[in-house]
Amino acid sequence: MAKVESSPVGNIIKHGFVWFILGFAFLPLYLMIVISFKTNEQFQKNPWFFDPIKDWQWQNWSSAWEIVSTYISNSVFVSVLSTSITICIVLSAAYVIARYRFPGRNIIFYLILGTMFLPGTAASLVTTFNLYDNLNLVNSIYSLVIAGTISGQVMGIFLLKNFIEDIPKELFESVQIDGGGHFAQIRHIVIPMSRSVIGVAVIMDFLSTWNNTIFPLIMLRDPELYTIPVGLLYLEGEYVKQWGEMMAGFAIGSIPLLLLFLFSMKLFVKGLGAGAVKG
Amino acid sequence: MSKVTLTQLDKTYSPGKQDAFRAVKGIDLKIKDGEFMVLVGPSGCGKSTTLRMIAGLEDITGGSLEIGDRVVNNVIPKNRNIAMVFQNYALYPHMTVYNNMAFGLKLMKYSKEEIHKRVSNAAGILGLETMLDRKPKALSGGQRQRVALGRAIVRQPEVFLFDEPLSNLDAKMRVQTRAEITRLHAKLKSTMIYVTHDQVEAMTMGDRICVMKDGEIMQVDDPINLYNNPQNMFVAGFIGSPPMNFVHGTVSEKEGNMTFTENGSAPNALQFGVPASWVDRIKNSGRSDVVFGIRPECIQTTSEAPNSIPFDAKIDLAETMGAETYLYLETDGAQHTMIARVDTKHRYSINESTRLYLNMDEAHFFDPETESLIQ
Repeated sequence: MAKVESSPVGNIIKHGFVWFILGFAFLPLYLMIVISFKTNEQFQKNPWFFDPIKDWQWQNWSSAWEIVSTYISNSVFVSVLSTSITICIVLSAAYVIARYRFPGRNIIFYLILGTMFLPGTAASLVTTFNLYDNLNLVNSIYSLVIAGTISGQVMGIFLLKNFIEDIPKELFESVQIDGGGHFAQIRHIVIPMSRSVIGVAVIMDFLSTWNNTIFPLIMLRDPELYTIPVGLLYLEGEYVKQWGEMMAGFAIGSIPLLLLFLFSMKLFVKGLGAGAVKG
Repeated sequence: MSKVTLTQLDKTYSPGKQDAFRAVKGIDLKIKDGEFMVLVGPSGCGKSTTLRMIAGLEDITGGSLEIGDRVVNNVIPKNRNIAMVFQNYALYPHMTVYNNMAFGLKLMKYSKEEIHKRVSNAAGILGLETMLDRKPKALSGGQRQRVALGRAIVRQPEVFLFDEPLSNLDAKMRVQTRAEITRLHAKLKSTMIYVTHDQVEAMTMGDRICVMKDGEIMQVDDPINLYNNPQNMFVAGFIGSPPMNFVHGTVSEKEGNMTFTENGSAPNALQFGVPASWVDRIKNSGRSDVVFGIRPECIQTTSEAPNSIPFDAKIDLAETMGAETYLYLETDGAQHTMIARVDTKHRYSINESTRLYLNMDEAHFFDPETESLIQ
């Protein structure tokens, strides 16, 4: 095959474009870090670049941590609990829909999928609030767990159902003959073989619950119960002039998600491509 | 070890509905303790469905299934004390060879020592000792199938079930693994039920062969008897490669001699005297139209066999296999192509005319309506 020579000008344009897009995407993150080490005066004097290290305001971070640490622990609690429950439900539902033929199977599956087309939070806010109010769940952190559990199921069931259908049925039959019931089949066949897809479902549900702002905003009254997105909103309101502490708060709030993504990136990318090629 | 008895065993999908399909039609089969029974037949004949009913992976619509002296119609697979080897191995891809073989025993809560003992023993029998730490993706097809065999052996079941285990292997590995399974049977002396569509596997492995077609049993017999005495045209044509030649014709009696004449108006249609051993049987059947059957190796280039009848044919195609040649023949009647299996002493050319001899000691006559052997 003949080697195609690319022109230096073309390369410069290509790379320049990529760097521009990257810069554009990472600019807010960069500014957040820069400003988090400044006082308001330092920010107004030099908003774009770091000051010399000896002038960095480390106390911005310690002050912000005192405020947002509660919000972070609430977010972790809600996201971990709701994601765990979601995955248990998703695994069971996807397994049954994928493996067994029963009356109404297709209707149930399409109804589940159909909920994806229902209007989002904003359109159903009033009815949802009324429902939770009737259940005495207003100002309860468990309302967020329930909401997170409900919202994460559809995509998870859709992803996993298709994946489980592709697992050779002889593997399940082999477990049956070896003496394993449904739980053993899920534990020893479905989970190990669909790790990457489960990983994608977990990450997507975790992110969705973590970043949910509107629902916690209307449900929670007690500041001790606030999750990170709501807490940071109030942080902005309370510290409207303390830019350094505010940016430090935002940066601290981003760390858990960054860590999650760093450790699970490989699994996430593998899971996204898992259904792309029939193996 | 255990016998397996199928009594009027029936499987109907969607019973009572418009699209009901009867896959297995009330079959009766007795498999003896320690026997190697092969279920063979074309795709869709019901052999795999029968095997899966024995395994408990398919519900039984009618009839009864006994393993040993127990009726197991409604017994779940794990309580039937059977082990199954699948066509695509069905190995757990995330487990090592050791854990694949140990999995069933772990589920049954055997002790670690007992599991280790059984797995090591099975690995020794199958030559897997050096592969116990590997995962299935690091094994060849033949090795994977041996692991699947090992997983069955460790369970020490009453009955082994094989669902076309060699289909996914290449030709060389198939021959090797076939021999391994036969040796395993000789060593373990277990009851084994083996499903295949390959009649070579059936003939070489089975103590007895059950030939199935369209959900029914066509004949159950040992390989030699099945080959030499097929009870119907389906078995005659299915067992043996190349298949038996069939010539449709009529018999007529004249001056105490019965003559077979090939159908059609061709001037040199096949015509010969019916062997004495068949005359009474054909007379008693009351039929004048019959199907004459003869195996390819019984059409020879010499008249050495005592009851040989000559006929002339044109060679349509000659396939040299090395040790023998298959001649595809057009008789003058050109109603059909017959196949002869001859030695390779002579080299044949297409369109060459030649004289061949039918060994009438190996003739068969079938009823064209029922396709059964005329008894």
